[in-house]
Amino acid sequence: MRKLGVVVSVLALAVGATLGLAACSGSSGKEGGALKGSYASFPDYLDPQLSYSAEGWTAMYNTYIPLLTYAHAGGEAGGVVVPGLAEGLPKITDGGKTYTLNLRKGLKYSDGTPVKASDFKSTIERLFELNSPGTFYYTVIAGAEEFQKTKSGGISGIETDDASGEIAIHLTQPRGTFTNELALPFVALVPPGTPAKSQSTNPPPATGPYAIAESNPGRGWSYERNPQWEKNNAKLMPDLPGGHVDRIDISVINNQSTQVNDVEQGKSNWMFDPLPADRYAEVKGKYEGTQFRVEPTLNTYYFWMNTTQPPFDDLKVRQAVNYAVDSAALERIYAGQIKPSQQILPLGMPGYKEFTLYPHNMAKAKQLIADANPSDRDITVWTDDLSPNDEAGAYYQDLLERLGFSVKLKVLNADNYFTVIGNLSTPDLDTGWGNWFVDYPNPITFYEPALTGSSIAPTNNTNLAQLDVPSLDREVEVLSKQQLGAKQESKFAALDKSYMEQAPWAPFGIRTLSTFVSSDIDLGKVIWSPIFSNDLTSFQFK
Amino acid sequence: MKSRSPWRIAYRRLRSNRVALAALGLFVAIVVFVLAAPLWANEVAHTGPNATHTVEKITVDGERRDVVSPDGTPIGPVWLGADGRFFLGADGRLGRDEMVRLMYGGRTSLFIGLAAALITTLLAVGLGLLAGYFRGWTDAVISRLLDVIWAFPVILLGIALGTALAVGGLQIGPLSISSGSIWIPILIIGFVYTPYMARPIRGEVLALREKEFVEAAVAQGAGPLRVMFGELLPNLWSTIIVFFTLNIANNMLLEAALSFLGAGVQPPNSSWGTMISGGYELIYSAPLLTIIPGVMILLTVLSLNVFGDGLRDALDPKSKVELEAHAGTFEPEEEPV
Repeated sequence: MRKLGVVVSVLALAVGATLGLAACSGSSGKEGGALKGSYASFPDYLDPQLSYSAEGWTAMYNTYIPLLTYAHAGGEAGGVVVPGLAEGLPKITDGGKTYTLNLRKGLKYSDGTPVKASDFKSTIERLFELNSPGTFYYTVIAGAEEFQKTKSGGISGIETDDASGEIAIHLTQPRGTFTNELALPFVALVPPGTPAKSQSTNPPPATGPYAIAESNPGRGWSYERNPQWEKNNAKLMPDLPGGHVDRIDISVINNQSTQVNDVEQGKSNWMFDPLPADRYAEVKGKYEGTQFRVEPTLNTYYFWMNTTQPPFDDLKVRQAVNYAVDSAALERIYAGQIKPSQQILPLGMPGYKEFTLYPHNMAKAKQLIADANPSDRDITVWTDDLSPNDEAGAYYQDLLERLGFSVKLKVLNADNYFTVIGNLSTPDLDTGWGNWFVDYPNPITFYEPALTGSSIAPTNNTNLAQLDVPSLDREVEVLSKQQLGAKQESKFAALDKSYMEQAPWAPFGIRTLSTFVSSDIDLGKVIWSPIFSNDLTSFQFK
Repeated sequence: MKSRSPWRIAYRRLRSNRVALAALGLFVAIVVFVLAAPLWANEVAHTGPNATHTVEKITVDGERRDVVSPDGTPIGPVWLGADGRFFLGADGRLGRDEMVRLMYGGRTSLFIGLAAALITTLLAVGLGLLAGYFRGWTDAVISRLLDVIWAFPVILLGIALGTALAVGGLQIGPLSISSGSIWIPILIIGFVYTPYMARPIRGEVLALREKEFVEAAVAQGAGPLRVMFGELLPNLWSTIIVFFTLNIANNMLLEAALSFLGAGVQPPNSSWGTMISGGYELIYSAPLLTIIPGVMILLTVLSLNVFGDGLRDALDPKSKVELEAHAGTFEPEEEPV
């Protein structure tokens, strides 16, 4: 997943602290009230089938519920799949090729429409009709690839029975992570007939405790309690929290320093984004433990290089960039909020094994460029306008100029940065800034959506380097069929090195994220989900 | 009796206006300051405006210091403590030399102000002459066109155009300007201010074309082009010069606003507007990064406005006379003939 996102597990101390604090908080605190929050940029989409950003997933975690979902907990517990709209976890038969689930009876969307088993099929079909960036997780469903091409005839591998609520999903081959993928927002049910175009301005009816009542792209959106939650859905899904506040208003405030001021002054109760670099030490010093908390995260920040065209189609050029990028410089640009790393998997991810293939060496980088002698030296560097990503882009531009390139820097609005660079018809997609957060706690989510040939798409492309190495793709495919275990973890570690030998990215670090709330919010109760960041149902006024 | 040309009279009046002359002196000093940018960058600071020094250390008064500390705080002004390097400190976490960027940024801001003022002047004089001379349909079409542009608030129109052209650049027939080019803000600013200059010029042309010297030229067989450029334009120079001067100041302010909002000069290039924008993010830890370019804009705009006022008083004493008459202090000035 791009942008902010996930945390996982291995950081047991933080996990324990989160859970412990939550447990200690008991049931005291006010119910009701209106929570005010802010984002520095509007999510890519407010449409569950389309959104592939932490902004969007945080916004829709408690609105659109898939058949399965992730537990509302911090740390490792938050990476556990639990039943959502389905009565239980899937029954897996036919050698891992058939998943059978039963929809809970009596569920309704926020507009009162009953939720039917066949809605799952229409939702998956909508996902493919939209050419969603999440489709690659579901092409394993029988008939999905054909439907992706023709957009007609339905997906034969999904059988549903509205009367009994049974849903059977037939796969073309086993997939070890399919249960996790059934819990992603991409497959959260929406009513049949929901138009196959972005519904960000008019988000579909919800199944979760909150429904999006109003959406003004670029400016903000609001939630109200889903009227059907109390009447029907809450009783049917007792394990899912209903939330404490009655209303949530989110504003887009581009200036992160203003976001901090608003939270400090109580004008806003929460900010989604990480603290701006120059306020980090101040806020941490003043509010840590009361209003501020550092959250363990699993992500990789990197510069991608388009491997399909000069000069980055030359491995030597890509390796030169890796030697040239100085993680220590980027650590300062991110004001110490990034831990230097030069590999694809982040520290804490199963399968992570530290290595440094390209220690910073400018002389070697220049030598490699001299050896490669690229004919095309006019390149464009892309980045978004959120600080300090824009500064990371300026640093990278200066670095490439030192390597002898003529570089133009393009800084795009963060609202549509990934949409623009994910559209392969955008001219001059040479290289740029990017980040990647796990979709669920499995290293496959760092390779399959971001670095395999099958993930290259004309729009909403997530393989920004457009890397297509069949031998590596085959290894990923083999691992995707298996459950994660010690053997697989060591294979992922080897894969990490193999990918970095291809140098499609120049990774530079793992970002530290945080929760910052106003003084009237009970920080101890705020859950940081490893997948969805802050869980809006956990916010409660003191 | 000794006869003097109107220009000479204006020069004499301007020379006696000490405030206007002081403003001119300040403006010239600023121009010299920014023109010296390459000299300072190469001979003193030994760095370029976009060169980053994030992990470098410099010796300040014998002590080794980080240009950017590990927590991302840039070094503040060291004045001459490092032999002129980082005279005003670093510009932020990238560790670029603030003084060098200030000087180069000033060149960008002044160039944009000047070039956009030239574009505005060319467009405004052309349209004003056509509308005022031909009147009728020509006037109606041009005036309504100007009204449409006028109807938009300048900053909003500038942001809309700047944002639209930020990614794809501008392509009109053979004219192609890539995104990020400095000519994008120049064209935008030159365009949005055109009505503000074209309307008064049109009004003045309407009045001038009724004068006897125009009738005489027409009676002698002068065509429209000759009348417009040979008879009317010379009588518009004083108005044009005053507007031009004041327009440079307005353009610089608009450039700063657009760059602050991300729709003007594109990074990593510096202008005083982009420097304020960049410094604003660090306003709590390094307020000088915002204050210094802000003061430079203030001084430049103030000097141009004061000088422009003085120029107007010198070239068009009537406007001053009218103002003073309203104030009840009117004393007719005897003009030497």
